[in-house]
Parts: sequence; structure tokens; C-alpha cells
Amino acid sequence: MNASVRLGLTSLRTHRRRFAGTFLAVFLGVAFLTGTLVMGDTLKASFDTMFADATSGTDAVVRSADAITTPGEAQGVRQPVDTALVRTVEAVPGVAAAAPNIQGAGQLVGADGKPIGGQGPPTLAGNWITDPGLNPYRLAEGRAPRASGEVVVNRGAAKKGSLHIGDTTTLRTPDPVRVTIVGLATFGGEDGMAQVTFTGMTRADAEKYLTARPGRAASIQVRAEPGIDRRELVDRITSVLPAGVEAITGDESAQESTDEISAQFLSVFTTFLLVFSGVALLVATFSIHNTFAIVVAQRTRDNALLRALGAARRQITASTLTEATAVAVTASAAGLAGGIGIAAGLQALFPAIGFPFPDGTLVIGTLSLLLPLAVGIVVCLASALVPALRAGRTAPLAALRETSVDTSGASRTRAVTGAGMLALAVALTLAGVLITPSLWSAGGGAALALAGFVVLGPVASTTVVRFLGAPLDRLRGVTGGLARRNALRSPKRTAATASALMIGVAVVSLFTVFGASLKATMDQTVSRSFAGDVAVSTPSFGAGGSGLSPALAPALQRLPEVDTAVGLGRGVAKVDGHGRALTVTDPAALRRTFDLGDVQGDLSALGGDGLAVDRTEAERQHLTLGGTARLTFTDGRTLPFTVRALYDRSELAGEYVITRAAWAPHRTQDADTLVAVAFADGVSTADGKAAVEQVAARFGNPEVQTRAEYAQSSARGIDMMLTLVYALLALAVLIALLGIANTLTLAVHERTRELGLLRAVGQTRAQLRAMVRWESLLVAAFGTAGGLGLGAFLGWVLVEASDGASDSAFAFALPPVRLAVVALVGLAAGALASLRPAHRAARLDVLRAVATE
Amino acid sequence: MTTVTAARTAARVVDAVKVYGAGDTAVRALDGVSVDFPAGRFTAIMGPSGSGKSTLMHCAAGLDTLTSGSAWIGGTDLSTLDDRRLTALRRDRVGFVFQAFNLVPTLTVAENITLPLDLAGSPGDPEWIDALVDVVGLRDRLHHRPAQLSGGQQQRVAVARAFASHPDVVFADEPTGNLDSRSGEEVLGLLGRTVRHTGRTVVMVTHDPVAAAHADEVVFLADGRLVDRMENPTPDRILDRMKALEVPS
Repeated sequence: MNASVRLGLTSLRTHRRRFAGTFLAVFLGVAFLTGTLVMGDTLKASFDTMFADATSGTDAVVRSADAITTPGEAQGVRQPVDTALVRTVEAVPGVAAAAPNIQGAGQLVGADGKPIGGQGPPTLAGNWITDPGLNPYRLAEGRAPRASGEVVVNRGAAKKGSLHIGDTTTLRTPDPVRVTIVGLATFGGEDGMAQVTFTGMTRADAEKYLTARPGRAASIQVRAEPGIDRRELVDRITSVLPAGVEAITGDESAQESTDEISAQFLSVFTTFLLVFSGVALLVATFSIHNTFAIVVAQRTRDNALLRALGAARRQITASTLTEATAVAVTASAAGLAGGIGIAAGLQALFPAIGFPFPDGTLVIGTLSLLLPLAVGIVVCLASALVPALRAGRTAPLAALRETSVDTSGASRTRAVTGAGMLALAVALTLAGVLITPSLWSAGGGAALALAGFVVLGPVASTTVVRFLGAPLDRLRGVTGGLARRNALRSPKRTAATASALMIGVAVVSLFTVFGASLKATMDQTVSRSFAGDVAVSTPSFGAGGSGLSPALAPALQRLPEVDTAVGLGRGVAKVDGHGRALTVTDPAALRRTFDLGDVQGDLSALGGDGLAVDRTEAERQHLTLGGTARLTFTDGRTLPFTVRALYDRSELAGEYVITRAAWAPHRTQDADTLVAVAFADGVSTADGKAAVEQVAARFGNPEVQTRAEYAQSSARGIDMMLTLVYALLALAVLIALLGIANTLTLAVHERTRELGLLRAVGQTRAQLRAMVRWESLLVAAFGTAGGLGLGAFLGWVLVEASDGASDSAFAFALPPVRLAVVALVGLAAGALASLRPAHRAARLDVLRAVATE
Repeated sequence: MTTVTAARTAARVVDAVKVYGAGDTAVRALDGVSVDFPAGRFTAIMGPSGSGKSTLMHCAAGLDTLTSGSAWIGGTDLSTLDDRRLTALRRDRVGFVFQAFNLVPTLTVAENITLPLDLAGSPGDPEWIDALVDVVGLRDRLHHRPAQLSGGQQQRVAVARAFASHPDVVFADEPTGNLDSRSGEEVLGLLGRTVRHTGRTVVMVTHDPVAAAHADEVVFLADGRLVDRMENPTPDRILDRMKALEVPS
């Protein structure tokens, strides 16, 4: 072993404690990254297996060829196929069996009257396919449905809703259907296909409740005779299919499902987690860099001696880097193990808190191991590089001076550079936000602002700590004064320590501000656009839920308390070739419950061949009042529609509005997403709401909300998201906390003698602990203040950039209470970080401390 | 009885035994020492390396605890005090001057001087502090930081700090060990003058006969025992006594 390596490893062994913080920072960052990657792979594999299981007996799938995909959606809407095709397919040589697959949304109501599921995964209903090869579900108990009203449900759904065989309950399709459970089914041996709920009914019931008219199915599942190749089978079927209908193999169908899940959910989810690993690692970088910088500074004497004895610069640098490598490798390796543990833990945890993850063994890919390992080592080595080079530059005759006050960080060059960077960042951001909306220059500006903060840190720390600490002298006397001066001792070190916390707090504040702004935006949207008194909707999220019965709005309209009740349904069509969502409603009544802004043309004259378009969208599609748009529906028919009205506000009404009459010939399963109700004059909100609730109860009990409640519930998803973000960012704050603790520990070690002296001349243990604690709090306060400022600014940038990038107006909001909580958390991190170092400092043996060389 | 003793004795140890380690490796640093340090006097503790002189001082000052026997500051038995009371005693009634200056680098000269008072949260005696500043000759350096002072100046700050709170006794541990002879002479003169002009008590550990000659009395230690006392010492007499001590009898 060469000398530098040996020196590095010896010093590491001797000063193990100093690296505890570094080790933990790398460990946590790598563990989180590994956990994310492993979990992503595992989820993907689980979904793969799940979809493969679902179609394992299906050799081919027949369906319509064209799907209409609207922006922001991965899964297109496909036109149903004619069930008469089942006969045609069955006649193809090599086909053993074929069954129509009639599927739609169907949400079961549990024994407690509450709907089952609906928060993410689909709630499906379909025909119970009797051919076991084509039905991925197996009967576990009871029997298959034979008569109308009889259903089989998957065991997981039954358990969740406390339903048993023989129970009668409601299935929302969305029209409430009374069903009796006659059987319980399993999926691939499990209680269900992940958290998806499934209700299997007779084919006649499925056709009646789940499709617009009988004789249509989502697809036809085909099973081959033994020995027939799937490709071959598909080719044979294809030759008998009419135009617009295609056949694919079961494998392809499974792959498509996986890809869809991956695109709309998994990749978003893992990217999201990866971003947080990135934040955690960035924070870790500061902590690690700081540790090495301090350790090298403390070792100046040793290194000077080595240099005097003839060690080359390169050797000193190499020995420091050896230490860094050893820490990096062990911490990263431990992080890998920890990450796999995290993935396993999350896999167990997520279903418990309602996230729809399927089970399955952990999938640990090579990339999931190599990438975090490489990132951990690179981050660690890069952080140690500058300190290592500095160690190499130690002059052989480095002064054997006492640890002193180092103000080298606060140079004029640094101040000017930092201020310049910040100014440029602000200019770039403002240009990107206000003048020509560009995410690139706004994003670049934001990144530059962060860099500017870091460069400016040491300069700012002097001023800010002096300012923040000013009351300490008066409030805490000499203890406070000493703490303040200790925090000012090494501006560079203080700034680097605080930077880690600053980044953590900045990201937390960014999300807090953005979340609050989104909420304010929704609030503004509802208060601007929703002119009704109450809104009826089903609380659901993602692909779950079944919407509202289209019969609800007419039923409400008949109430004496109600002036207008308008249901909003959703349809899709290609408008001049582009997939678009349509709002299906009664346009004449729409204006009484929604404020559409300035309306040009006549909304009540749309008829069966007219439509109303949002003005911005109309400009994009070059549609003018009186002009014609060609709409292609899922049934393949293309019809000309005349633009009869243009409106301003699309937030709630959507970009295209057509009448129910125009939609009826092309409809699939009918459902409204929202029913807006305006009360008659003189009806109080409470009375009106009670009346509406009474009627709604008959339609599966959807939620009836006043305007304020409706605005709030729209924002519920944001709170859920914020909670998740906070949980993830807790990791970054924890790493920052470790960084502060480590810096303090090193500082205490460095000041052993000084602390001993203070104790000797009469500082009590409590005073000493308070001194360390206040120093920590000051550093944390500095980091928190910077983080709040930076986070609020970046939040504003994000809001403005989103505003520029979308049609709807975004509101900016600074939530004072939440930000105060963030500030408190930052300070609490400082107080927590000081616990151990303060404790250790107070335990110092006075004599030994005074005698330490 | 106690009050009478307190009036005449600033600090004392009775049958002091200090054992470091245990079993075969046990070292008896103090082996039954009884000595008192009269108030208003400058006493030097001398002895060869390993004689136990530093241990004696540390135990007498409440920085270390005795294995057996007792240590008193005025009428207070140090062994009865817990860490908090001991700390308060050091702060209010004892002053220290260390070999390595031991100033707080972040505090100015003035703040270093008043540190024990500030820690106690007491304003002290401004006239006394003012007089001290003149005695140690640092009036023009009050707002400097320790790093801007020479070694001798730093040690003079330490002396001023040691006397700032009117302590019963000031303990000085090799106060000239890190200084050149001229600076050392200044510091010793300062200690001597302060004792004679203001009636303070100083106990100094040293191995330098020239330094010890500044004291009113020298006590000699060897192998953890008190072996001699000498009034009105001169460097030559001390040197002779030390030579005798180092020759095994």
C-alpha cells in the first residue's frame, strides 16, 4: 500500500467520529436514490406481471383500431366493437373460444353506505366471462351471476366494503343499480388486480348498464386452440375483420396496458421521487464538502509537518482523497442496502396508506445498484476535491497558530461576484416570466439565483448573523454574545453549513408557496366561474369513481327550490383531427350557473349540429364564429359542426361545449362529472342544500357542496400532494441537520481548549450548552431565512411561468401560517442539531481541555 | 474556627492524596500533602517534573478532585460542592492564569477581562477593573482581539482577567512558560505588585527558580510530598534547594 493511501486510512480510523455526519449524509442520499430506482423497477415489474396474468389465457384481442386521445391523457378512448363480430371470430379456424368484453365504470357502495375505492385505481364493472381461459378472475366462493341483478365481486373490494355473499348493495354505473352478490372472485390468486375493484355481471346487465346501447363491447377476447401460434391466430382473425377493427395478440395488449400505466403514473411518480433524491444529494454535497473543509483546516499542522518531512503536494492531496473514497465507498454501499430496505418498506407501507401498489418480489436491476453507487462516490469525491487540493497546498511552515477568527470568506470579490450573479439571475428570471414567457430562461434564472445565494453566503452570513444575533447579547448576556461571535468566526463555514439547510428550506417553501397559489387559483376559478349555489359531484381521483347519473340533473330541476340544475358530462372527439375533451350539457342553462365571461353568439342555439368554443382555443384551431369544425367521434363518424358561440372562461366549462342531443348518437357510458345548481329566488342555501341532498341520496349519495366547500374540496388533492412532498423533503432537512451537527461537533473539537478555559473561569455547563445551542440556532436561522426568501421567489417564478404557459390565470399567494411553520421547522432543526455537540461540549473535562495542545 | 482560618488562609489542602489509574499502573501524584496558602501572599510551588506540583494546584483550585483528603478555598470545603457550585466558586472566588494564555479569541481584550463577571451576570467593580487595566498597561489595547497582541500582552490580559472578580486566590500555572524572559519578568512583576499593593493572594506553579524568586515564599514538592518551605527566596537559594532535591538522598 502506498504511503498516501496508508496515511489517509489511518487518519480515517483515528478520526472516525468526524466522518459520522458525512457518512450519514451520503448514506441517506444514496439510500433514497436506490430505494426510488428499485421501487420503480419493482412496480413496473409488478404491473407487467399483473397485466400478463390478466391476459395469460387470452391469445388475441379484437378491438377498434382508432383511439381518440385528448391532451394530458395517455389512455385514449376507443370506440366499442359490435358483439355480432364474436360469431365471425369464432368461425375462424384455430379459434377455440371468443367472448365479448363489455366494460365500464361501476363503483360499489359498501355496507356502510360509502363508495368503495375511487381514489386512484379504476373501479370497473363488466360482464362475467364464463370461459375461464378468457376471464382473468377466478371464482373463489359462490357462483357466477345467472340472473339480472346478480354479481360477482373481487374479494378485495368485498372485504373493503364489508360485503358478503347474499348481500344486496348499490352499484353506481353511475345510475344506481341494485345488485346481489352471489360470488367472490380472485385475480391471479390475489384478492384483486392490485387495488382495482371489479364487479362482474351477466352479459345482458352489462350491455344494459355499461354501454349506450346493446350489442356493443369494448373488445372481444379470443382463445386459440392448442398448438396455434398467437401471431398466426391474429393474422387469420385480421383477414375476416371489417375496416376500422384490428386484432392484436394478448401479449401486445398486456404490454400496452403496462406502457399506459407507466406513462401516466409510474414514470411521473419515479421522476418525482428522483427529483427529491437529487435535492437530498445536493444538500448532502454541502454537508460533505463542509466536513472535509473543516477536517483539512484542523489538520493543517499535521499536513504542514508531513510537507516539512518531504511529502509532495500530490501525496497530501491523495491521502485526503483516499479518506474521501473510503467514506464514499462504505457509505454508498451501506446506502444501497438501506435503499433496498426503503423500497421493501415502502412496498409494504403504500398499500396501507391507500396507494395502489401491487405486490411482488423486489426487482433489483444492475442500473439501480450502479447508478446510486456512482452518484454517491462522485458526490463525495467532488465535495472533497477542493479541500484535498487545499490540503496539498499547505505550506511546510504553516503557522502553528491558535484556532482563530477567519474572515477570509467575506472578500469584496466574492460580494461583487455574488451580487452580480443574483442581479443577473433576477433579470433573467423576470425576462423569462414577464417579457417573453420562457421556462428556460426562468429556470436558468432560478438555478443562477441558487448559485448566487451560495456564492454570496459567506458575505451575507456576517451581516445576517450579526443582525439576527443582535438581540442575543441583550437577552442572553455573555453566553449569547459568545454564541453570536462563534457563528461569525468562519463566515465560509457558517455559510456552507447554512446553505445545506437553505436549499432544503427553499424547496419546501417553493412547494408551499406553489401549493398555496394553486389553491388560491382554484378558489379564484370557482368564485369567478361558478355562479351556482351548490355543486354536486362524486369525490374521486384518477381513474376511479363512476361519475354522476345523467338522470340526477333533471330530477333536481323538478325541485321547487331549484331554479336551474345543469349537469356537465364529458365526451371526446377529434376536432379537425386533434383529440379534444367535450363538455356535454344544456348550454342554454349553462350561463345561469357558470360565468363564462364575455359570450359572443348564442349559447341557446347550438342545436344538434352546433358547438361553443373557448376563445383562446378557437384562435389556436382557427375557428371563427359561424365557421365549421369537423368532429370525429369514437364511433368513427365525422360530422360538421357550426361554431355558434365563443366564450372567455374555460376553467370549469372546458374548451368545447355541445348539447346532449348532439352527443347522444355517439355516446358511450353516460355520466356527468358535475351538476351545478342555482336556487330559486328566496331559497336559503341551507334549505336548498337539504332539498338537493335528499334527491341526491337516491342517486348513490354524491357530495353536495356550497361554493366555498366546492372550492375547498377541489384543493384537497393539493394538500395531499403537499403532504407527500413534505414527507420527502424531510429527508433533505434531516441531511442538512446532520450537516449542522457535524460542523458543530468539529467546531467543539477544535475549540476544546477555549471551552475548557470558559469552564475554568466559571462558565456553567448549562451556559456552555446554551452557547452551542444558540450558535446552532443562529446558523439555522441564517439558512432558514435565505431558504424562505429563495423559496418564495422561486415559487413566484413557478406561478408566473405556469401562468404564462397556460390559458387559465394563476393566482400567487404567500401562505403566512405555513411559511411560519416552515421557519419554525428550520429553527427546530438547528436546535436539534445542537443537542449532541452541546452535550459533548458540556461533558468536556476542564483540566484536559485546558491542557490540550 | 473556620472564620479565623479563612481570615488568614486563602486556600489550603489537608492530607491531600491523588491517585491516577488503578492497580499496577496506579500513580500517586499527591501522597498526603498538607499545605496552606496564606492570604495576601505570593506563594510559589516548586519541584522537579512529576513531583505533583501541577496536580496540587489543580486540586487546590477545584479544577480536579482529590482521591482523599480535603481542599479548601477560604472556609469552603471543595469536596462538598457539586459541579454547578464548583463552577460558581471558580467564577467568583478563584482566578486563573495558564501557561498557554487561554484567551477567548472572539472576545476583545476588555471582554476577556470581564468574562468571569459577565458569566456571573454581575457588573463587578468598575473602578477596580479600571485600575487593573492601568496596572497591566493595556488601556490602548482594550478593543483589540487576542490575535493582535504579543504573547506577553496576552498573558497580561489573562492576569487582569484573573483578578477582575476580586478572587480569594489566583492560581497561575507556569505563567511564564511560553514567554521570553523580558515578557516573563513583566508578568511576574505584575503578579508580585498586585499582591503587595492590593492584598491579593497568588499561588504559582513553576519550575523556574528565577520566576519563583518573585514569590514571598516557596513550597517544595518531591514525589507527591511537601518537603520544604522557604521564606524570602532568592534564585540562588532556590537553585541550591532544587539541586538537593534532585539528588536522591
